Amino acid sequence: MTIWEKMQKVDRRILYAILVVCVCVGLFFPTTIPTDPDPSSKSFYAEVMKLEKGSTVIIQTDWTNSTRGESMGHFENLMRLMMHGDHKFVFYSAADPAAPQVARTVLARIVAERKGQGLREYKVGEDYIDLGFFPNAEATNTTMGSNLRSVWANRKSKTPTGGEVDVWQTPVLKDVKNIGDVDMMIVVTASASIDVAIQRLAQKVPITAMVTGVTGPGVLPFYQSGQVKGLAIGLKGVYDVEYMMVNGINDVEVEGKKVVEWDKVGKVDRVNEGTTFSRGRAYYGTLHVALVLLILAVVMGNVAMFASRRRKGDAV
Amino acid sequence: MNLMQYMLAQQAIEETFWRKAPGQGLILWVVIGLALGTGLCFLLSTVPTNLRKKVIFTFTFLAGLPYVLAFLWPRPISADFTNDVPRNTGEQIGFFINQAVEPVGTLTNILGGFLLGVGIFSLVRVHSIRIKRKQENWGYSLVLLSSFAIMTVVGFWDWRLRAFVDQTGALNVRDNWQPVNYAQDLLFEGIYQQMDSAMFSMIAFFILSAAYRAFRIRSVEATVMMASALILMLNLMGALTYAWGEGINNLVVQTGNPFLMNFKLNVFADWLRSTMQIPAIRAIDFGVGLGALAMGLRLWLGLEKGGVTA
Repeated sequence: MTIWEKMQKVDRRILYAILVVCVCVGLFFPTTIPTDPDPSSKSFYAEVMKLEKGSTVIIQTDWTNSTRGESMGHFENLMRLMMHGDHKFVFYSAADPAAPQVARTVLARIVAERKGQGLREYKVGEDYIDLGFFPNAEATNTTMGSNLRSVWANRKSKTPTGGEVDVWQTPVLKDVKNIGDVDMMIVVTASASIDVAIQRLAQKVPITAMVTGVTGPGVLPFYQSGQVKGLAIGLKGVYDVEYMMVNGINDVEVEGKKVVEWDKVGKVDRVNEGTTFSRGRAYYGTLHVALVLLILAVVMGNVAMFASRRRKGDAV
Repeated sequence: MNLMQYMLAQQAIEETFWRKAPGQGLILWVVIGLALGTGLCFLLSTVPTNLRKKVIFTFTFLAGLPYVLAFLWPRPISADFTNDVPRNTGEQIGFFINQAVEPVGTLTNILGGFLLGVGIFSLVRVHSIRIKRKQENWGYSLVLLSSFAIMTVVGFWDWRLRAFVDQTGALNVRDNWQPVNYAQDLLFEGIYQQMDSAMFSMIAFFILSAAYRAFRIRSVEATVMMASALILMLNLMGALTYAWGEGINNLVVQTGNPFLMNFKLNVFADWLRSTMQIPAIRAIDFGVGLGALAMGLRLWLGLEKGGVTA
């Protein structure tokens, strides 16, 4: 058996071991990598930063820990951006019963983090509302479009003091009559639930999205058509948003050159408080390693195949 | 607040033809609904197969009708279907149809919740029988049912404490947690969610193995696909994109030829996405959409052999 034939029959456990070692090493050395954010990520950041202070935002959070490598980074960034802009938000899930609890955990962590940094503490019932889970995305989004007041009628929210209040009496929703009164809807998802939201609501409220790398290509046609105003895709999207939180767009300059340039918008401010670089920065180096490994695997697999074929041809 | 008070507080705030505020009679309505629902389920279980098909078709058709009519019937721009007053008969019909969408949506959500219950019933039944008869791998069934019972008890206990006992929001702070809150956190965050992550992360291993063993350049199509994938993967690597872009920038300055800017990795990847990937996905979406429309119509009208007419 030649070396090429041996390479083609390499034990899969060796490949797994290489992956584990390479990925783990990368996680221990978070580095700031210069990048040029994708246009879709720039649109997302610009749209969110464009919101006036204290805007009302609906967040549909349809992810769980199975995709936390990407979605948790997205959700953390989103929470930081919301709190930075003093925006009021409602969050719910229409795809997974476990999703609201996962979102609650992340939200509690970000609230505690900001409190520890001496920033304003976000409070349930005053700054945000937790609406829980709706089992049918199609029916929920359709009804939200036709009558938002009725779809959330009788829903209660906790108050900071532990009591309960009708969600429509809270500072978050008291001025909202229909979905058109909401300034933006943001979908954080790892599934096709974003498609339903776009189909049912894109004509009624500006939608932006934070999706996983797998879901991203399916949402790109909606971004290109303008039905989705901004889109952060996958781990690159997480890092892109963090990078823009640090550098803004057409804002921070290094050696006379803008760090993030984009001719589609003017200056978009950076985020000058709290945590900015976080999970995206921690994982982005590892993504590089994993991708290099993947490309090497494809190349070496093909080289071994061609070399093996050639030897067989020579033998004949 | 106890459960009864909590339920009494759940009163509709806006009345339409489709929805009435039950007021103080809420509990009575709940009891009547429960009795009617139970009776209906019992009746449905006794009807012959041919009649069942008709019942299913009728309910399917009626459930789909408001959505179809709401889509097709002209609607006034920015109408508030609860508070506005229709100006003529056409608008009156439009209001009537659109007001139906919300109760049907709520009903669908309730049915979704009910189906979860049916799923749980089925799961418990199947695995209980397996344990009782000591069938193959019955130990796994025991683990499943035990986990299910523990998760349910701890979950509801935790919820009861937070929703009805804690009146001051003290349980929002970890220091005030009781043992059951820690147990819930351990079960949900510590075990269930971590297993969820672990299962998903295994995909990475399969992808690497597949990339090495199966992704072979055997044809022109495979070569084009691999080249495209390579460019898009390289574009995900910010360090490479940045370094490559800086190199192109310098080259443009040296040669004075702005056309070279098209060879920036991110520009080229963006072009690939915009002109190749997105149109292809859109074409697939159109096909899927047409198929879904045809399938939806067949199901709605009871024409699908695998559906209500089977």
